Amino acid sequence: MTLLDFARGPALQAALIIFVLGAVWRIVGALTAPWRLVPANPREGALSPAVAALKGVFVKMWPHKPFQQAGLFTFVNGYVFHFGLAIVVLLFTPHILFIKGLTGLNWPGLPSNLIYMVAVITGASLIAGLVHRLRSPVLQLISRNDDYLSWLLTFLPVVTGLLATSHLGARYETLLALHILSICAFLIWFPFGKLMHAFLFVFSRGMTGVRMGQRGAEL
Amino acid sequence: MQRSQTLGEILDSRGVSRRAFLKYASYVSALMALPAGSAAAMAEGLAAARRQSVIWLSFQECTGCTESLTRSFSPTLESLIFDFISLDYHHTLQAASGEAAEKARETAMAENKGKYIVVVDGAVSTKDGGLYSTIAGVANVDMLRASVKDALAVIAVGTCAAFGGIPKARPNPTGAAPVDEIVTDKPVINIPGCPPIPEAMAGVISYLVSFGKLPELDDLRRPKAFFGETIHDRCYRRPFYERGLFADGFDDAGARQGYCLYKVGCKGPVTYNSCATLKWNGGVSFPIQSGHGCLGCSEPDFWDQGGFYRPLSTSLRDLGPALAGAAVAGAALGAGAAWASRRHQAAYVKEQAASEGGKK
Amino acid sequence: MTLAPASSHPHAPREAPALTGMADAVLAEVAARLEDYAETGRAATIELTAMPLTTEDRAELEAWLGRGEVAVTIESAGHSEIWETRFSGVWFVRHFGEGDRIATESIEIADAPLIVRSHPADMRAAARRLAALCADQSTRTRRDA
Repeated sequence: MTLLDFARGPALQAALIIFVLGAVWRIVGALTAPWRLVPANPREGALSPAVAALKGVFVKMWPHKPFQQAGLFTFVNGYVFHFGLAIVVLLFTPHILFIKGLTGLNWPGLPSNLIYMVAVITGASLIAGLVHRLRSPVLQLISRNDDYLSWLLTFLPVVTGLLATSHLGARYETLLALHILSICAFLIWFPFGKLMHAFLFVFSRGMTGVRMGQRGAEL
Repeated sequence: MQRSQTLGEILDSRGVSRRAFLKYASYVSALMALPAGSAAAMAEGLAAARRQSVIWLSFQECTGCTESLTRSFSPTLESLIFDFISLDYHHTLQAASGEAAEKARETAMAENKGKYIVVVDGAVSTKDGGLYSTIAGVANVDMLRASVKDALAVIAVGTCAAFGGIPKARPNPTGAAPVDEIVTDKPVINIPGCPPIPEAMAGVISYLVSFGKLPELDDLRRPKAFFGETIHDRCYRRPFYERGLFADGFDDAGARQGYCLYKVGCKGPVTYNSCATLKWNGGVSFPIQSGHGCLGCSEPDFWDQGGFYRPLSTSLRDLGPALAGAAVAGAALGAGAAWASRRHQAAYVKEQAASEGGKK
Repeated sequence: MTLAPASSHPHAPREAPALTGMADAVLAEVAARLEDYAETGRAATIELTAMPLTTEDRAELEAWLGRGEVAVTIESAGHSEIWETRFSGVWFVRHFGEGDRIATESIEIADAPLIVRSHPADMRAAARRLAALCADQSTRTRRDA
């Protein structure tokens, strides 16, 4: 069995099973857990829980005025690599074929050259994010191994993907195998670390909105 | 024709001049992208060489490789290769000759000790002593071992001989093995393909005969001159891949436009061969030009890659049921965790209430 | 015999852009090699067969070099067409293979392409044959007399 066969076969199978099992476990667990709301009546004029939840999810997508200056880099850079990742993952034809193979869903992709460009920007943005984290004393205080591992496992697929498409460093089939294996590592870690925010951010922001709303706080 | 004569003398006796050698050598050195000027050296080498004794062994094979090599050249420039070799034994072509043919093989081996080339097409059955494939009552594996003992080099022609090919495909009932798993003490050159490109075979033999050494090989023992680049790298449809223009089927608008066949399972990106440049049938076409993706036939285990029409970037396995099971298991775990959490919380509240009640 | 259409060239990409600029590069190489040959007498061969030249590139190169005073055809292991270009010492050498397909194509910078020259071994063999013919002729003449 070649490395590519291993990556496309057993490695991918195991990683996807762990990913689905772990992610569903955490989502179902979070949704069916008791809602720890303050046992008090809502304040007068408080938002209804549904509206508060929605506001919680969407209003937080841009920083409040007082934080705009200080947090500008984090926000802008965050958007750059999140959109970059979404474009690369969802609009590169080989990736679409991969998703189609799993789910049966299909949609048109973008030209490969455009994807390479976006991937380069995404990689640069990820590096910028890491440098910012390492240089900020405050971020240093709140960073855990989880943060660095999650960063690394996001960064590796971007780099190996770029190497594979540009045939740099090794033969294409080896690079493709490494790329798939890096995705496997990403998928395995995903449910158990901070990468899970991709699913949970909606619920945590919504819940924050509901709690704040109940107390009549401005969102 | 005397064995002691050089190729130059042999062709000379037929009124063929050295120009034929030079022309053939330019042809081969262009095929193999040898440095400019090596054609003259190759021509001199060929003219001074003796006819190369070749023993051709056919094992677990379909004769496609022999067909590809013997029927591809009409009597012009390219067919000169058949004047340079002396095919002393070819099991398939000599099948009617029985014992006499086996005798010819033994004679050639004895006369050209240490100098003959063994060409093998077909995989070698190794299970149960190799009894699944025998010639004249001798197991292939034993005949191979005996034949290569005094050989100069071994050329494994076709994917079956080079990598096991279709006989070795799952479940490999005969324990088929590639030649280089059995021949470990002689140089082995692999020229895979199902069938292999005839020019690659001719090029390698001419190189061996004229320079007396092996051409440069890659890690799978394939001559780099013919297997140095992927089909995808040299494919004329490559620009469509870069532009994101793909055929979604074999009869859609994209297919009619000649778009890239990646989505319909082309294995060009991971297949090393010269089909895209040398092409087939005298340069007429190659599979992708004829509208079908590359099957990857010159790569190891090409038969077991999950299907010819499965795109390269997809999982090799059908994951639907496994992932559904994982989702159900995950949901059960999550619900169980939540339930345990609720019970724990209720017990805690009760305990708190009891202890507060006790204080009062 | 007319030349096979350039599109039958085994290495011509089918749907590539017309002119890639490769012909300019080859022409510059030819010029450099010719200058070198004129000064030092070092002959050179530029192999065109495996170069990624399009059909249009090849036509352009051929047109630029043009045809000079000498044209040679060789019938040995198939057909060959050789001609000196407008530039003295620059030779176009084209060998045909099966079915009038271009098997190899090169530009040689020399006073004459190697393949046009008679090989010493061929000349020795020819001398033997010719001597035998002379001997044969003289015996026949004597017999007739």
